[in-house]
Amino acid sequence: MAKGKTRQKLKQTVKSHIPKDWLTEVRIFYRMLIETGKGISQAGLINIAIVTTMAAILTIFGCLFRSSLSFQTIVNDLGGTLQISAYLDDSADTKAVISRVKDIPHVKSVKFIPKDRSWNNLKKDIDVPDVENPLPDTLHVKVDVVNNLDDVLFKIKEINGVNDTSYAKDWVKKLQTLNKVSHTVTFVVVIFACLLTLIIINNTIQLVIQCRKEEIEIMRLMGVSNWYIKFPLVLQGAIYGLLGAIISIFPINAIQVYLFKLHDFFMIPPFVLAQPIVIFSVLAVGVMFSAGGSLICIKKHLRV
Amino acid sequence: MIVLKDVTKQYKAQPALYNINLHIRPGEFVFLTGPSGAGKSTLMKMLYMEERPTRGTILIGGINIGNLHPNKIPNLRRCMGIVFQDYKLLQNHSVYDNIAYVVRTLGISSREIQARVHSALKVVGLDDKAKSKPTELSGGEQQRVSIARAIVNGPPLLIADEPTGNLDPSNSKEIMKILEEVNQRGITVLVSTHDSNMVNYLRKRVVALRDGQIEKDQEAGTYYG
Repeated sequence: MAKGKTRQKLKQTVKSHIPKDWLTEVRIFYRMLIETGKGISQAGLINIAIVTTMAAILTIFGCLFRSSLSFQTIVNDLGGTLQISAYLDDSADTKAVISRVKDIPHVKSVKFIPKDRSWNNLKKDIDVPDVENPLPDTLHVKVDVVNNLDDVLFKIKEINGVNDTSYAKDWVKKLQTLNKVSHTVTFVVVIFACLLTLIIINNTIQLVIQCRKEEIEIMRLMGVSNWYIKFPLVLQGAIYGLLGAIISIFPINAIQVYLFKLHDFFMIPPFVLAQPIVIFSVLAVGVMFSAGGSLICIKKHLRV
Repeated sequence: MIVLKDVTKQYKAQPALYNINLHIRPGEFVFLTGPSGAGKSTLMKMLYMEERPTRGTILIGGINIGNLHPNKIPNLRRCMGIVFQDYKLLQNHSVYDNIAYVVRTLGISSREIQARVHSALKVVGLDDKAKSKPTELSGGEQQRVSIARAIVNGPPLLIADEPTGNLDPSNSKEIMKILEEVNQRGITVLVSTHDSNMVNYLRKRVVALRDGQIEKDQEAGTYYG
């Protein structure tokens, strides 16, 4: 009794601080939330099946996306260590060539190696006869990402004073292929996960609608607003997506441990924001596509 | 209150209603009669916008509902009470919840909802059955709940589509009495029926339909008169 009185008093205090129009909206929202709760409780054990399936899909999506991000970081970093060697003519204006190379887009750094230093280094490494230095002045050019190597190389070749160029072509080709594969796999997985989320939620909400068809039909005929009918079903879908996404975060975190080991092996630091980006994407895909799936289903099966 | 001008409703090639002209004044009690297939239900459905006219104009309270945007249809329906032959009650909800359902969606306080529901239940004489489930009630009582739900918002118009179609004569009489009482409270009542006894008993305005056209429109009329 005393508890009831305290609750009533608290209710009155809250109400007195809310303007009248707002109070109406708040009540409508509160009642829509109750309808959502009813919808979920009516679904019973099906809820577990739906959330588990959603979690499985989002786990696959999240793990592949997370791996792809790590892989990309490694590939890009390895690409950055690859460099183009540009050999200069004896008559070339070194400063002018360096300046032109630096102006090429995607060039990260340019290092000038005088021919004397190259010759001395070579003599240290191998036993060479005492002849006149045959080596040219060299520029070591690094690019930002591996995919831009070809482009930069082409532009360097066109510069006056550059006699020849070389780079680890096989390595670059392999890294570029790996990069492309990782991008394609991630893209396909994202599309696949989104589609599956839409289909599963669509079917689930269809079941809910079939169970409540008569009730919804009566609500419609009695003049209940379209949004009052739609919102709880959309929210129900979004809740399934959110729960699935939250569960999927655990295996995604587990996979991160193994990816860190891979980074350690290559001695390349991981991308700091990779995990937050993946978690945010999983939550966004889970919630948005689940809500979208509900909305599509409502449009298909109800005249609201 | 309700004005129909040259209203035609056509399903494929077959016209269900043809060139209907009708004017129902505020506060009137009108029976819409006619044999099955005459177009009574089609006309009713057009009034609560479950169907749209193929041609013609329908004005309710001066608003042309033929052009009404689909999003506005719930607003229109909340301005009228609708009673169906099959009651359309939520079987797993109590009588109270069935009546309160629509009012709750308007954001009205629980206290006011309670007052409105009890007042509506009083009108239909079921104030002691608020906690019962529709399955525990007789057909006549279920139809009374349906009327209570229709009047809970205090609408200016009540549309009843064959409200006594599933009831015995005694319950039918009871329902008609309640509808008459509702009408006496100033609500315009439009009842479609082929129950000649009720029409002859109440002696209200009778609009008879046959083959989609108005056959007769008679003040204080009878079913066959």
